[in-house]
Amino acid sequence: MAAVPFDRSVLKVNQSILMVVIVVGYVIGFAYPEAAYVLLALAVMMLAAVASPSLNLPRILYVRLLRPSGIVKPRVVQEDPAPHRFAQLLGGVFLAAASVFVVTGVLLVAWVLAWIVVALAFLNFAFNICVGCIMYAQLVRVGVLPLSRATAR
Amino acid sequence: MILLLAPLIAIAAVGIVALALRAQRGSQRELVGVVVEPPRRQGAMPSILYFTGEACTICHTAQRPALRALAAGLDDGVEIREVDVAVEPELARRYRVMSLPTTIVLDGSGQVTDINVGFATGETLRRQLVDAGMPVAA
Repeated sequence: MAAVPFDRSVLKVNQSILMVVIVVGYVIGFAYPEAAYVLLALAVMMLAAVASPSLNLPRILYVRLLRPSGIVKPRVVQEDPAPHRFAQLLGGVFLAAASVFVVTGVLLVAWVLAWIVVALAFLNFAFNICVGCIMYAQLVRVGVLPLSRATAR
Repeated sequence: MILLLAPLIAIAAVGIVALALRAQRGSQRELVGVVVEPPRRQGAMPSILYFTGEACTICHTAQRPALRALAAGLDDGVEIREVDVAVEPELARRYRVMSLPTTIVLDGSGQVTDINVGFATGETLRRQLVDAGMPVAA
């Protein structure tokens, strides 16, 4: 059976979008608190990306624009994509929780959660430290996550 | 203005988690040169512990085939032991396995000589086995 080719550049694009949009939204939020609703849009983007590759906005942007134009070069590695999908799911859950706090008006907690996502994305982007992936391995090891190959498509 | 605290709180929280994880990762490296468990028989050849799991796609599609190809060209005395972390969690804990696949090369006395986190090629593992004392075929 062939090894799974996995392009890490898609993750880098995803992390860049998260970092830029959250930081810009945070700054604008001082003048216009409604800017916090951008967290809801990012939560939808992240959770949709986990649900289906065809709904993965950063991937679509990368495949249709950034890669063909040479702005971002492919970095294909032999790697299990399941831990990265779990990390994306984790980011989506954090942003979804942040969105709930935005709607209920608790903006400090919302932005703390959003900045946690920024910090985790930065660690992965700059140093390839994927905290979500490490958590995934631990959860599989202790049997919390189901040991189904479907989770690692 | 209280919102200015948000990045500080978040970065402090993530920093603590990252430092804890880094310390734990570093601790696996500390196993090199250590006998975690004695070999099953005395005077044994070097061996490989291959940690895997059912949900680890790359283990099944790349690491296992690479190990099978490697095993086909090895002396019978060299053992490649596949360890499912769900079946033997205690062994995975003792070898501080954090990620799958992980391959650990042991010398004849059971001492850890190399640790590979992630996919390791057959060529890399063969070289590590030689470094661990596996005789090179003439």
